Amino acid sequence: MSIFEEWWLPIEAAVNDKIPLSFGQNLYKEIYMNIIKDDRWANYLNGLWVTLKVSFFAILVGTLLGTLLAVLRLPEVTDLRYKGKNPLRKIGVAIVHFFSWFAKFYIDLIRGTPLLLQVLIINFGIFGTVKIDKVIIGVIACGLNSAAYVAEIVRGGLISVDKGQTEAGRSLGLSGPSTMVNIILPQAAKSALPALCNEFIALIKETSILSYIALTELTKAGDYIRSRTYSAFTPYIVSGLLYLLVTIVLTKLIGRLERRLANSDH
Amino acid sequence: MTTDTIIEVKRLQKHFKEGTVKALNGIDVSIRRGEVTVVIGPSGSGKSTFLRCLNLLEVPTSGQVIFEGTDITDPSVNLNLHRQRMGMVFQHFNLFPHMTVLRNMTLAPMKLLKKSKAEAEEKAMQLLKRVNLADRADAYPSQLSGGQKQRIAIVRALCMEPEVMLFDEPTSALDPEMVGEVLDVMKQLAQSGMTMVCVTHEMGFAREVADRVLFMDEGRIVEEGTPDQIFNSPQQQRTKDFLNKVL
Repeated sequence: MSIFEEWWLPIEAAVNDKIPLSFGQNLYKEIYMNIIKDDRWANYLNGLWVTLKVSFFAILVGTLLGTLLAVLRLPEVTDLRYKGKNPLRKIGVAIVHFFSWFAKFYIDLIRGTPLLLQVLIINFGIFGTVKIDKVIIGVIACGLNSAAYVAEIVRGGLISVDKGQTEAGRSLGLSGPSTMVNIILPQAAKSALPALCNEFIALIKETSILSYIALTELTKAGDYIRSRTYSAFTPYIVSGLLYLLVTIVLTKLIGRLERRLANSDH
Repeated sequence: MTTDTIIEVKRLQKHFKEGTVKALNGIDVSIRRGEVTVVIGPSGSGKSTFLRCLNLLEVPTSGQVIFEGTDITDPSVNLNLHRQRMGMVFQHFNLFPHMTVLRNMTLAPMKLLKKSKAEAEEKAMQLLKRVNLADRADAYPSQLSGGQKQRIAIVRALCMEPEVMLFDEPTSALDPEMVGEVLDVMKQLAQSGMTMVCVTHEMGFAREVADRVLFMDEGRIVEEGTPDQIFNSPQQQRTKDFLNKVL
């Protein structure tokens, strides 16, 4: 018998004898019932692991797709013109223009509708008849959603880079995409980092909405414990503390990255 | 000095805002190999636009820019290949702030000339020594003075081993005490036989280093000649007025 159960026995006896509990005994009862009993702490940790998995991959999808959307919305892309006669290039420019238009449409659509609705449509609508891991649905829904916000953040970063940087790159003979990747994006990322950190934190918290489609992530895990113990506070507070832990660690990591990138401006 | 033409500009026009602003109004000029051409003129005369049209950072509205026999205004040419052979130096340096001096200089040669890191760095260090900045190879641009930045910008362009160097008011953003060090590098470059086109307000530099001076006003070349002709016996009234103001 573990020490936690030894502590629990007298309290259980008191409860059975209907003896009023002291504050400390009450507190321990909450902790025991909601965390220790039946290894319930494992429920939180499993939920945390699912939340971390979904968040990590959603951030990855959101950042990559969002950056692509941001680039597509730049004036260099929207104002791209080709006056020559090469039909392949003409078609190429037309395709780029279509994607540029689509990027704008996509951002408006995603930002203008609730995440919950998007999750429900993807879960019941698009993958309604397909057997698919809910984690993947979560990654798709949250990633696609985050991309729209990341796109605008990165676009802000891209616009803030001086036009002379592009000109310097192009004047050396670097192609447009190469200039973007080697010169513009690293500088844009640096100025967009604080806002991106914000978005990542928001995304981690918003994955809690996935409990709506029965994905057992951190919020759902807390909710499950509540359904077993009828404690209204403790399970949610435990879940909340774990979210807080994750976001604080993330903030620290990004802060460290920011300081490293700031190396170049002494 | 040889006399073959390296850049030929024909009927070059550049309009802004749907043609309401005519920055360049028909420019015809030949830039000869090994020659230093200095472009002077009042602000708004189109001299920077002209220079930027030479490597198509500004796309001309009409006209041709023929570089080493190729009309680079033709949309089907691979402009990037031709730009590798034209170095450009900007008023505001435009060094890449997130890279060290050495990385600034080796990026393009490694990506475009397919040089190895060692080769590119060797060339870069050689050039850095020429401008007395070898000890700043690992510095970031923000740690340099304006004059140092501009000298780095010049050697960064030289790392691509260009045929022509374009200078867009390279000393205009510098504190006065740093102008000299940049002009010295440019003089050294001119003496080494580099073809140069410089837009500048440094009349002393024009007089001393230029083989030819172009005076521009209202989007046209009003007068051209040797520094002696332009500065000592200008023919056009507008040239005289301008020189009276700046000298």
